[in-house]
Parts: sequence; C-alpha cells; structure tokens
Amino acid sequence: MIACRGIGKAYGHFQVFHEVNLTVAEGECFALFGPNGSGKTTLLKVLATLERPSMGHFDILGMHGLKDKEAIRANLMFLAHGTHLYDDLNARENLAFALALRGHHPTDRDVKRALDRVAIGAFAGMKVRHYSAGMKKRLALAKTMLAKPSVLLLDEPFTALDTAGTEILREYVRERLSANGTVLLSTHDYDKTRPIASRAGILRHGALQEMAVGELKPDDLA
Amino acid sequence: MTSLNVIRWIVWKDFVTELRSRETISSMVFFALIVILIFSFSFSMDHQAAREVIAGIMWVAFAFTGIIGLGKSFSTELQNDCLEALQMVPEAKGAIYLGKVTANFAFMFVVEILLFPMFVILFNLEVVEEISLLLLVFFLATVGLSAIGTLFSALTVQIRAREVMLPILLLPLVLPVMIAAVEATKGALNGDPLAMYEQWLELLAVYDVVFTVVSFWMFEFVMDS
Repeated sequence: MIACRGIGKAYGHFQVFHEVNLTVAEGECFALFGPNGSGKTTLLKVLATLERPSMGHFDILGMHGLKDKEAIRANLMFLAHGTHLYDDLNARENLAFALALRGHHPTDRDVKRALDRVAIGAFAGMKVRHYSAGMKKRLALAKTMLAKPSVLLLDEPFTALDTAGTEILREYVRERLSANGTVLLSTHDYDKTRPIASRAGILRHGALQEMAVGELKPDDLA
Repeated sequence: MTSLNVIRWIVWKDFVTELRSRETISSMVFFALIVILIFSFSFSMDHQAAREVIAGIMWVAFAFTGIIGLGKSFSTELQNDCLEALQMVPEAKGAIYLGKVTANFAFMFVVEILLFPMFVILFNLEVVEEISLLLLVFFLATVGLSAIGTLFSALTVQIRAREVMLPILLLPLVLPVMIAAVEATKGALNGDPLAMYEQWLELLAVYDVVFTVVSFWMFEFVMDS
C-alpha cells in the first residue's frame, strides 16, 4: 500500500508538485498522467526513496518513507526510464548481479523462465550493449519479475515496447495485482493503460487531480 | 554473509565489465606511460641522481593515473542510471563501498606493477634486493588512495565538473599518503635500513585503517544525498 500525505518537492524556488495526497491500496493499479515536466517521474523517485520530499510524508506498506527506507527498498521495485542494466554484461549476468545485491539468488531455471516469458531467452548470452531499447525494457521487466516486489513503480513502462511486449507487461501487472501487489505507473498512453488501471490521476501545475479511469477525457491528457 | 556476497558481486561486476570494455586500465596505462616518458626525457640523470628523485616522479605518475581509474569507478554507474539501482540496494551501502574499494585497489595495483619495470628500465634502477619492500609500500599507499578516492568518486559523480572536482578535492586529502609513499620508496630504493623509514610505513598503515573506516561510515550518506 502507498499512502502520501501532503508531499511536495521543490528544487530551490522551483516547486515541482505540492500537497499531493494519494493512496494506492493493495491489489490496485493507479495510473498517473500528466504533461511532460509535470513531475510524474519526480513523484515516483520520491516514492522509490531516491529523492527526499521537500514537504509532507509518505508510507509504503505501513513503513515510514524517510525512516524505514531500507525496509521499503527491500519490498519495492522501480522500473525507471534508465533500465539499470550494464551494457557489458549479458542478460543472465545482469539478472544475477541485480538480484544478488537484493539478496535473491534465482536458479538458472527461474532465470530462463523469466527471460523466455519476456521473449528474449534466445538472446540471454548476448551483451546488453547490442540490445534494442525494447529488449532492454523487456530485460528490466524480467528482473522485476524475478524480484517479486510487493510494490511496483513503473515510469512510462510502455515506452519502447511493441504490442507483444505491452501485453507481457500488462499480464505481469495483472499477476502482481492478483497477488495483492500495489502498482503505481506514470504514462501518457491512455489506451494501453486502461485495461489494467483501476484509478487514475492527472498531475498538472504541481497538483494531483484524482478520477476514475473511465472519467478521463482526451482533453485531460493533452 | 549478505555483505560478503555484495562485496563479491560488486568486484565481479567491475572486473567483468573492465575485462570486456578495457576502458579503465588501458586509459590508466597509456596516461602513465606518457607521464613516465615525459619525465624520462625531461630529466637526463645518472644512477645516483635518479634514486633521489625517482620516488617523487613515480608517485606523481601513480596518483594521477589512479585518479583516472577512480573517476571511472562511479561514472560508469551513470550508464542506464545504474547508480539509482545501487542507491536502492537495501542495507548494503558499506558492502558496495568495500566492493568498489577492492576493485579500484586491484586496478591501481595492477597498473603500478605493469609500470614499475618501465621506471626501472628508463631510469636505470637496481631494485632486485628491495623489491619486497617496494611492493609493501605500493600495497599500503594504494589501499590509502583507493579507500579515500572511492568515497570522493561517489561524492563527485553527479557533479557536472566531476573530472575537475575529483582531483581538486582528493589530492589535498591524500597528501599524507603521497609524502609517506615517496619517503618509504626513496628509503627502499637507496637500500637504507628499514628502521630509517619504517615510520612512513606505519603512517601509511594508520592512514589506511582510519580512512577506510571513516569512508565506510560516510558512504551511506554520500549515496543517499
């Protein structure tokens, strides 16, 4: 569960967002819309404990966002713009390294299954340097699958993914939701998000306006 | 056990990526070769004169070469925002620091061992009898440089002018290491009795312990800031 109470973020005099109140329950997927530069990524980074909020506080899984950062990090995965992958390692090595740092040691079979699930199993031994942007995104998704986090933060997850990749991602989100996971994603793509999101919000001019996904209109997303 | 695993994985990752890209060690070696050749051509000296100044020349070359490697240690983590993933590793920041220190130490030590024969040849040194003591000096001084250098590499990685800021911040702090390393190297090259320069080895050992502990403790704040 994610609970934000009055959080805001400013860089010097520039207020990115302010007084954001947001609750995302277990088993719920919240879609965050908003124009470029509205602060969607910054909000996700605050919740991922990568940035400190300038005001307010937040809890994740009942743990305090500032005091219990380490415990939160153990239960949360952030699928960011940057894929967090090393170009000179291959897919298997990237997974083994990233998961080992989090204390997970998946078997070769688990790794193969995850890579096959995101349809890059045939390229498991290839250096990530030679991957396309979509393949990198799929590999980052495979890493998230193996980590099995309770809370999933997805920053524009459909970017670079083709139709098949988009469906793999949506299927994985549904799986996490059925396991009582909490998902918060930022996106510009209403059509791809609608099948998985139960609630939505628009971050604009520093404020968050919540609504049901069905209430969103094209003008809202402009 | 978890921390040991994290150290092992960080060292493994840095070694494998370096073996495949050869970016860090090759740039360190080529830079150091240029420095050595410039000094070699600038100072035409006899055997005795070389022993007087070679220790200083050697450690200037090693320190500047080391700074190149230290700078790359964390700048490579900016690729695909991997630094964010390291920041999000739960409860293991100290282990990440120790892994990075180990990898940086290994790269710097390997480069020093590769370059030392160049000094011997170009400056006509006789070092067979003192080689074990010289290796001890190299080891202690390189631990000190990598211990504090790794912390400052992490501290400056997100600064726009990081290539300039790292040496500006680091060199004043490693001055004790440089002085002690030069004096101990000079003593070993001159064949002086160990008692004449063992205080410099002790200073290096104390510096290593103090700055490794302090940097280990500060690393979490640096990564979270």
